Amino acid sequence: MQVRNTTARWGGVAQFLHWLIVALIITQVTLALLASDRHGMAKLALLARHKSVGITILMLAVVRFAWRLINPTPPLPLTLKPYERFLANFTHAALYALIFAMPISGWIMSSARGFPVSWFNLFQLPDLVAKNRPLYEAMLETHEALAWTLGAVATLHLLAALKHHFVLKDTVLRRMLPFSKIP
Amino acid sequence: MIRQFRLARPLAALAMLLAASAAGAAGTAVPSYTLDAAKSTLDFGFVQAGAQNKGHFPKFTVNFAFADDNLAAAHLEVTVDVAALNTDDKERDDTLREADLFDVAKFPQARFAATQISKTAGGAYAAAGSLTLRGVTRAVQVPFTLKSASEQGRQVLYMVGKTVIRRLDFGVGQGDWKSTEWVGNEVTVTFNLRLIAAN
Repeated sequence: MQVRNTTARWGGVAQFLHWLIVALIITQVTLALLASDRHGMAKLALLARHKSVGITILMLAVVRFAWRLINPTPPLPLTLKPYERFLANFTHAALYALIFAMPISGWIMSSARGFPVSWFNLFQLPDLVAKNRPLYEAMLETHEALAWTLGAVATLHLLAALKHHFVLKDTVLRRMLPFSKIP
Repeated sequence: MIRQFRLARPLAALAMLLAASAAGAAGTAVPSYTLDAAKSTLDFGFVQAGAQNKGHFPKFTVNFAFADDNLAAAHLEVTVDVAALNTDDKERDDTLREADLFDVAKFPQARFAATQISKTAGGAYAAAGSLTLRGVTRAVQVPFTLKSASEQGRQVLYMVGKTVIRRLDFGVGQGDWKSTEWVGNEVTVTFNLRLIAAN
């Protein structure tokens, strides 16, 4: 498999980052939901992992964004209507913004709560803001609102990919799938 | 005469010894100090989920009697109101007070009593004694420094020190909390005390 992107398809690095981040986001939702009805040590452990995975996503987002900038981007099909083109660009931009905004809002939330973030118990991250209870509460709401937004935008993204594959029968989905042959 | 003379010398020696021990007895009345609670702190630091966190005990009392030239008579006793603990996070404080951690309903107080205070290198001191926490008593060494000052005509001592204890030695952590994966076993206790000589 080609490592770098071409104008016909996404390369191995872009695909790996895409699907790894998908898996980690699903992990994040699972950890957050499990933590919400636990307390004590179980909650502490789940949230600690949630924070570590979140910071991992943030690091991957930086790599992914940089990789996108130094690689060709496979263009959208020319058959798209202007509103579809706008919707596609908007969705992709929103997804990029959200994989940065979700972890950063969580990080601010932890700092404001006074519970510093550690990455898998290996190193402690600096606090982004000083301890501040009202800010913590605002960030908690923001983090949750962003999660719902991500859910909505990712659903749109998924439906669009399925439409390209099954209705429009173009290569848009296949060019992000490993092992798929593209003429 | 000669016999009397022979007896006189041991008598005189005995008298001197008695006088000396009397002076020594007077020396045991070492000055005692009371805590200036407003200007004193007792803090604790711990690792939570891989990150350094801290809290403090706002309520504690100190009984300190001390004279540098009579350490044998020195005395140190600290009683801490554990239930008043404060980590600046209500949810965490409530958890810490629960039966599996400090169990403040059963053990509202912790107590350190020094049995021996000695000088260590560099003009510092060490208080060896026992710490009773959550009903468990264990030997603990507490190093500290003292700085003496005269403020508004009163003798004041600044006592500063730090010691590390392992929470599980005292049973602070039952059930899930016995694990040290998310809450470290080592707890650093630091104190910064202002002690005023009692008149």
